[in-house]
Amino acid sequence: MPQPVSYRGMTLVVPDNDSEWNEYFALARQHKLMLRACQACGLMRYPPTHACPWCMELGWRWQEVGGKGTIHSYEIVAHAIQPGFKDATPYAIVLVELDEQRATPTPDEALRIIGNLVKPDFTFEDEKNVAIGKRVKVAFQDVADHFALPQFTLTDEPAAGRVWRL
Amino acid sequence: MSHLKDKYCIVGVGETEYSRGSNRSTRALAVEAVRKAILDAGLKASDVDGMLDYQGGDSTLAPHVAPDLGIRLNFYMDVMGGGSSTEALVGLAMGAIEAGMCKTVAIYRSMNGYSEFRIGGTGARAAQPVRGLDLAQVPFGMRSAGQNFALTFMRHMYDYGTTSEQVAHVKVAHSKHASNNPKALLKERVTVQDVVNSRWIVKPLHLLDCCLETDNATCIIVTSAERARNCKQRPVYIMGVAGRVSKPRLDFHWAHGPISRVAGYYARDIVFGQAGISPDDVHVTGSYDAFTFTTMLQLEEYGFCKKGEGGAYVSSGIIELGGKRPNNTSGGHLCEGYTHGMSMVIENVRQLRGAIDDSCPDGKHTYDYKQGGCRQVRDAEITMNLGWAMPPLGSALIMRR
Repeated sequence: MPQPVSYRGMTLVVPDNDSEWNEYFALARQHKLMLRACQACGLMRYPPTHACPWCMELGWRWQEVGGKGTIHSYEIVAHAIQPGFKDATPYAIVLVELDEQRATPTPDEALRIIGNLVKPDFTFEDEKNVAIGKRVKVAFQDVADHFALPQFTLTDEPAAGRVWRL
Repeated sequence: MSHLKDKYCIVGVGETEYSRGSNRSTRALAVEAVRKAILDAGLKASDVDGMLDYQGGDSTLAPHVAPDLGIRLNFYMDVMGGGSSTEALVGLAMGAIEAGMCKTVAIYRSMNGYSEFRIGGTGARAAQPVRGLDLAQVPFGMRSAGQNFALTFMRHMYDYGTTSEQVAHVKVAHSKHASNNPKALLKERVTVQDVVNSRWIVKPLHLLDCCLETDNATCIIVTSAERARNCKQRPVYIMGVAGRVSKPRLDFHWAHGPISRVAGYYARDIVFGQAGISPDDVHVTGSYDAFTFTTMLQLEEYGFCKKGEGGAYVSSGIIELGGKRPNNTSGGHLCEGYTHGMSMVIENVRQLRGAIDDSCPDGKHTYDYKQGGCRQVRDAEITMNLGWAMPPLGSALIMRR
């Protein structure tokens, strides 16, 4: 079993038999954002699961995505719960909607991923720069030899639709 | 309509003190609440032969609570879960009785939610390793209930223009109700400005948008309408129930939008269909207020107003005592205390009995809702509970007198 990962006071455990996450985070360490795609209908899904939620096919393969997307929603944590985040407040958690497979196979579906909005040096982005509609891209934060966290940074691209922040 | 409509009743309710430091075990708390509910119903220990409880590894299970009270069980189940469990277990109790497994079921929740196992992930839960599905969010500093729900709340503000001031009215209304509830943990009335000026916890939630972690136990007793007629209290009839109805992708519900939609979207046809009524027929609601937003989201999803107009609905005065359809007349989780939903069913049972435990003398209700006064709703005939676990998971219960 790989060594547990220590990050911000947390112990992240991804054992060899973690059939959902083991390869996902190993691929992330290679700075690849890979999702599972159904071998029958081709649709991707996140998080990594064992059957296609649309056709129940068991077979899947890893498929790389571009890592670009739009902030679909966000929150600003002012009162941290986890001790390792106490010195980081306020920090932004973003729900990113990836560019691939938007509104597919139904208008309500999308590939959405949770991460922090960070600067290129992986410190947390300033709160005033966080807003729904802003464009982002994935940035891999190396945390251990076998583990990286997919985070998101702002891009220069024009916003997608209405930009709004509280 | 359901063939079980009006065939089952809630006949007994009981609760301990709401405190932030019970200095007792969850076993002691549960025994007190179950005993009170049995006595409230005018039953004996030997009349109760079924038990259901819900917990999250933080409580005492039925095999230890029942024998303390001399109850021999023909059926019991300890269920994992928090909010939305109360209503779901009412339905399971009906099913167990209908199947002939038992005759009368006590449902309880016992928790030292402040002094021992805090819901937010601090205290005893803080040191646990992060694994499995938690890896999709906890490493990013997203662990507590507020942090889990905030993306939904923020997107609702984006989609519909809902404001902090609008949802603050939920806290304001519930604080008024709590000021007429001698049991309530927080009896002070607050204003919209108090809410929006309180410190941020996780935007868009201020401190006063969040409920109160509390130590307590609560219990209700379900039996057949036939047996209910021989109990001490006026029977409260179950018209419809929906239990733990979910959105698609309960594991990672953000994958399936609109993310500002909550599980009531899927539950409403089940529960209103069973009861054969519409939202207009409901006199009192009990919409789970883990946060101000949760009450608002559920009221609109169940059709008490149009989708997206929840902010206007909760700030209109409708949900206050004296309004058209008061919500959480006890003060709810925001002000009375946090019970994972049971207390709001207890409150509605008392409303339907016409026997709210306010400060009115000798049960003669004044219907004057000024501070320290009455909180009985005049002629409450039908109530509805909207139970919340998280945005993609909820339950509902419609009762009548």
